[in-house]
Amino acid sequence: MERPFENILVYINGSEESLAAGMAAIIMAKTTGAGLTAMYVVNTRALSDLVSARIFLPMEQEEYRRDLEADGDRYLRHVEKLAQEKDQKITLCKISGSVQNEIKDHIKKNNIDLLVLGGIGGIRSRRDEFLNEAERVMRSSPCPVLLINDDEFIWDRFESL
Amino acid sequence: MELLDILSTNCIKVPLLGDNKEEVIRELLDLLEAAGGIVDKAKTFAAIMDRELLGSTGLERGVAIPHAKTEGVNRVLLSIGIKPTGIDFQSIDGELSRLFFLILAPPDKAGHHIEILTELAKATKSQAFCRLLSAARTPEEVIELFTEE
Repeated sequence: MERPFENILVYINGSEESLAAGMAAIIMAKTTGAGLTAMYVVNTRALSDLVSARIFLPMEQEEYRRDLEADGDRYLRHVEKLAQEKDQKITLCKISGSVQNEIKDHIKKNNIDLLVLGGIGGIRSRRDEFLNEAERVMRSSPCPVLLINDDEFIWDRFESL
Repeated sequence: MELLDILSTNCIKVPLLGDNKEEVIRELLDLLEAAGGIVDKAKTFAAIMDRELLGSTGLERGVAIPHAKTEGVNRVLLSIGIKPTGIDFQSIDGELSRLFFLILAPPDKAGHHIEILTELAKATKSQAFCRLLSAARTPEEVIELFTEE
C-alpha cells in the first residue's frame, strides 16, 4: 500500500501551538514513513512594513532581523531534538520573506503533500480573520493542511510513541 | 501571539495624567509593573528612553508607539493610555499625541514582539479607529473597540 503522505512540512513560529504541531508532524512522519521538514520563516516582510510605518528605524530592522534569525535557530533546534528523541529524520529549513508566500513556494517546489500547522484560536475580532498568519497560510496552502488544536492530546501521543 | 492575548483592562489608563513624554511613559510602565511582568523597572525605563533618543516613536494621527527590547521584562507586555487633550511627543507630523501604546519584550521574544507591533501598525492606520479610540472613556471601551475592529 502506498504511503498516505510522502513529504510533510511543519511550520514552526515559536508558539506553544506550533511546537505541538512539530510533535504531531513527528508522529505522522514516524507512523507513515513520510519525509519531514520543519520550517521557520524570518518575517522580513513584517520588518519592512514596520519601517514603512515608521515604527522601526532602519537600524532596529537589522537588529530585530538578527533576533528573529536566532529565534528561528533555537526553535528549529528544539524540534530537531524532539525528532531525534523519536529517531525520526528531519530536515530544518530557515528562510526569509513573507510567511505565507515562503511556505506556499516551499510546498510547490518540494512536492509537500501535507502541511502541519499549530492551532488557530477562536476569532475574537474581525481583525483576527485578516491578520492571523497561520489562518492565512491555511487558506492559501496548495496542499492538504492538518491543524493541531489539542496540545495535550498531542503531548500524550508523542510521549507514548 | 495576538494583541488581545496580552491586552487587559488593568493595563489601560483613560485618561493619562502626565503632561510630557517622560511622565506618560512612567504611567504606562506603572500599569505594567502593577500587572506583573516587569523584573527590573529602572532598566526597562532606561531602555524605553534610550530608544526615544534614537528617534521619537510619536507617529502620525496622534499615535505614539514607544517600545523597547529589554531584559527588564520577562514576557511581551502591552499597556495603552489615552490623553484626550494630547501632549507633545515629538511626533513626526508635529501633531499632539493622544493614543499611547507601550510595548515591551525580552530579547528572546522577537517574533512575538514583531507580531504585536505589526498588528498595532495595521489597527492604527485607520483614522476612524483612532478617532473612536481617542474618544474611549474606559478601559472596557478600549477592549471593546479592539474586539470589534
